[in-house]
Amino acid sequence: MYKFLKRTRVALSLLFLVLITLSFLFFSNRETQFFSFFLKLQFVPSVLGAITGSVIFLVILLLLTLLFGRVYCSTLCPMGTLQDFVTWSAKYVKTKKNNRFKYDKPYNWLRYSVLALVGLPFIFGITLPLAYLDPYSNYGRISNEILSRTEQFIHNGFSQIFPDTVFFRSYSVFVAGSFAFALIYLLMVLIFSALKGRLYCNTLCPVGSILGLISRFSIFKPTINENCNHCMACVQKCKSQCIDIKNKSVDETRCVACLDCMQICKRGAISYKFSWGKTKKSTIEVDSAKPDMIESKDRRRAIIALGLVGTALAARAANFGPVLTSKPKITGIAPPGSQSIEHLKKNCTACHACIAACPNGIIKPATGEYGLDGILLPVLNFKDHFCGYECNICTQVCPNGALQPMTVEDKQLCQIGKAHFSLKSCIVFTDRTDCGACDEHCPTKAITMVPYRDFGLFIPKLNKDICIGCGGCEYICPAVPVKAMIVHGNEIHSLAQKPTRDEQKKVKVDEFGF
Amino acid sequence: MERRNFLKTALLGGIAGVVQLKSNVLSASESISVKKENDIVAVMGGEPEVMYAKAIKAMGGISAFVKKGQKVVVKPNIGWDKKPEMAANTNPKLVAAIVKDCLAAGASEVVVFDHTCDEWQSCYKNSGIEEAAKAEGAKMAFAHDEKYYRDVQITKGLRLKNAKIHESILDCDVWINVPVLKNHGGAKMSIAMKNFMGIVWDRRFWHANDLQQCIADCTTIAKMPVLNIVDAYRVMTQNGPKGKSAEDVQMGKALFMSSDIVAVDTAAVRFFNQFREMKLEDVGHIGQADKLKVGTSDIDKLTIERIKI
Repeated sequence: MYKFLKRTRVALSLLFLVLITLSFLFFSNRETQFFSFFLKLQFVPSVLGAITGSVIFLVILLLLTLLFGRVYCSTLCPMGTLQDFVTWSAKYVKTKKNNRFKYDKPYNWLRYSVLALVGLPFIFGITLPLAYLDPYSNYGRISNEILSRTEQFIHNGFSQIFPDTVFFRSYSVFVAGSFAFALIYLLMVLIFSALKGRLYCNTLCPVGSILGLISRFSIFKPTINENCNHCMACVQKCKSQCIDIKNKSVDETRCVACLDCMQICKRGAISYKFSWGKTKKSTIEVDSAKPDMIESKDRRRAIIALGLVGTALAARAANFGPVLTSKPKITGIAPPGSQSIEHLKKNCTACHACIAACPNGIIKPATGEYGLDGILLPVLNFKDHFCGYECNICTQVCPNGALQPMTVEDKQLCQIGKAHFSLKSCIVFTDRTDCGACDEHCPTKAITMVPYRDFGLFIPKLNKDICIGCGGCEYICPAVPVKAMIVHGNEIHSLAQKPTRDEQKKVKVDEFGF
Repeated sequence: MERRNFLKTALLGGIAGVVQLKSNVLSASESISVKKENDIVAVMGGEPEVMYAKAIKAMGGISAFVKKGQKVVVKPNIGWDKKPEMAANTNPKLVAAIVKDCLAAGASEVVVFDHTCDEWQSCYKNSGIEEAAKAEGAKMAFAHDEKYYRDVQITKGLRLKNAKIHESILDCDVWINVPVLKNHGGAKMSIAMKNFMGIVWDRRFWHANDLQQCIADCTTIAKMPVLNIVDAYRVMTQNGPKGKSAEDVQMGKALFMSSDIVAVDTAAVRFFNQFREMKLEDVGHIGQADKLKVGTSDIDKLTIERIKI
């Protein structure tokens, strides 16, 4: 039975890896946001989503964990699957001896310190440390910076071979820092997993640590029974290195529920057992506590872990954020749906799903635009294009609710910033010639052309109340070196006035006029 | 390329050049004395494809412009992510009718494209032009990246001395310019000459260097359209060129056709003037193109056939 379960687990994990990857690739996410739905089943997005949207995904994930332990880590987490793949591939390179895992002590001090370093700021509304270590968000950045770029090179290779049918994909803004971050993280995890299996998941990964704590409370736990003859097959197979055969115990805080041990054991000595209210001896407890204390201590920890998640949610909902974040100079324009830069900072883990989805390629990872506590968060850039008036895709793909879903109609009134007009830079002023590029691109007609002095020329006039900050004017303004139209972001997004209706008398024309 | 093919192409190109030149000379000088062909055909009161059929017949049929085996480009305005009812783009039914006609005349291929302002795939799709043109057998060309454009010298240009022009235009045998008649905040009017902004890559340069003159300059290129067909079925009379709502649109139910781009723009402005005041001299690029001898804005001296349906 475990053979079947294990195969199902592997199949599902690969399926999720593919689905998540597809939601970051151009060819699969250009026409549909179908794949983005699966991002919601990631742990960190589900926690944030519980505050900003629906609690259902968090409930599903917590129930899974309370039933069977860290199923998320083995089946749903794309980073986990990637690591397993690397571990699996590495066995063809490594010697037979190096290929066998041994039991390893838990690095609890490291694990829980990292969890605290990430978790405490998170409770107080600072999400960035979590964003940098969350496996899903990192996988997103890897997909966006590395996989999606590779896809683009391949796509453009095809566009050379088939110039009539495959179009060239223009290269968008490249942020070296973001690329380097993704690459370094990827290399680190690749090395970890090639050498020591799920080492990352059981040291640095905050999701692994919190789910590990909750797993102590699981109803079914992997248990070793009396059939065991100490053959070590399971230990050698365990990429979490958490089976302590001497004490016949499995450290369920580190076990990722991959089922490899149960599948390999010929004697059926290791299997899921109903463990509600029971506990097994794990090494730490054997060393440190009296036997009769173990049970209550174990449960207490699990309750504490669950409590932590609950407190985190409550504390964040209570909004401690402003007390703790400093306010550096902010120039960034946050994407539609982010409500405010503060909301973005609290809820975005920089997975870059929006960056990958933007058909105009105008969202880029922030460098300094939001200040230090906003590095890598999505920010708008109007250098190569502007925000499409009929488009709301970024608000549809965000799994965290950092970008709240908006209808196109709502988005068309969402003022993410306001254009500022500088007469001294305007072509009509400097060159005394017609231009009107900004007026041409303005979707709400916040910009209109009005007569300018007696030159027979027209100059832009800006009504900021109906400007939504789409950046069309800034993008197209030909003035150099400083553009005459520049959008300044709204720290808190507001509601623009509706564009005027401009009713005109319908004229019936029966003659040609010439 | 093989030498034989090269010679063949050069010879054919030469002949095409001579023929085209001759027809231009004819229409410019002999139109009054010899009652031969129409300089402008204006049609009113029908559906786009019906008006096109009447107009092209009065022009002597599409085969006067498109020869068997030629590569043809039909260049509509697809600048904006707007539905056909908004009149920001050329009417898809008109584009389809022209494509169909060109292929029926034996064109080896018909290519449709525009350098859009909004995101190109949405424009191609929501304008209805991609679907309509493809249904008639045209190919949509890509025009959203600089790589599809090649640099061309514009020797007669006063401000615009060179421009990157789309490869489809440079590589085709003949092209047909199919603008939509629109009000325009910067250029005052957007008609046939203004539609040239969709065949070049760098539009910002035009805006920064006397927009009206650059529009006129670009129409001095050697590879001019053999025919300009102005879609005035729906006319955006305010808030152009993008428009805000259906409120900006008036029903014109008209179509103008001419080989003379200046003449057809002049005619269209005078038609537009009936909806909303627009003086010809305010549309700077028309006068400037006249000065550059691209064509004539003195259309009262031309042979015009007016058809009412």
